[in-house]
Amino acid sequence: MSNRRSRQTSNASRISDDQMIDLVSKLRQFLPEIHERRRSDKVSASKVLQETCNYIRKLHREVDNLSDRLSQLLDSVDEDSPEAAVIRSLLM
Amino acid sequence: MQPTSSMNEEFLKKWQMGLQIFRPSIDNTSVHERKKAIKLSADVAMASLRKGTTCWSRALIEKTATEDNFLVRQMLSGIKAETLINKKLPKKTVCHRKIVRRSKKILRRKSKSASEEAAAKAKRLVKRRTQGLRNVVPGGELMSNDVLLLQETLDYIVSLQTQVNVMRSIVDAAEAEIER
Repeated sequence: MSNRRSRQTSNASRISDDQMIDLVSKLRQFLPEIHERRRSDKVSASKVLQETCNYIRKLHREVDNLSDRLSQLLDSVDEDSPEAAVIRSLLM
Repeated sequence: MQPTSSMNEEFLKKWQMGLQIFRPSIDNTSVHERKKAIKLSADVAMASLRKGTTCWSRALIEKTATEDNFLVRQMLSGIKAETLINKKLPKKTVCHRKIVRRSKKILRRKSKSASEEAAAKAKRLVKRRTQGLRNVVPGGELMSNDVLLLQETLDYIVSLQTQVNVMRSIVDAAEAEIER
């Protein structure tokens, strides 16, 4: 019984580890900074995960910034001007 | 796997739908409120790309629905909004945590070789990093499985990139138009 359990555990953990390795390597492809490094450079899993967090936060800030710029644009343009019409046609 | 042009188009279509719903309030409100509306509709549009097939998108839909239930229902009208909004998210595994904690204590009592200690350190660091991911991916706290978390993270990044790409295109085009 204990042997079976330990085998199952080690098997499951081995499969999981392989999946994790595969997924981490896929994450690397998304990260501009790490991706640009030579393949020979070893990058630890924790480093990849850290960079992934940073990248997601960067994208969040970008969405926030773009929303702000767009809001400002709609505010700065005269309601009846041709520019306002263009922006609205782009968006709505 | 990169954002596709069809993803961009689908996002834009959904985003436009959301902004049309918002339009009356967008025209008569403060810059700050308008920004919130723009961002909220963009988030719902992004979540709708996955039609409820991913944990992060369901978590994001649930979150946005608490902010503007009407908008979410309208934007998801083709994707069974009710089902998505009420669909249960994975439950936290409290029991599992206890077992893990117990086994950790047992493991700690044994002495370890230098290499074993180094491996243990690396594992702890990876765990801390995955915790960081849970904080930034919608619904991340509810994914008890690290493999699932990474899979969701990959998909979330692609969708985020779609959102950023389309929004940037619109903003750049609008600014260029004004400068004429």
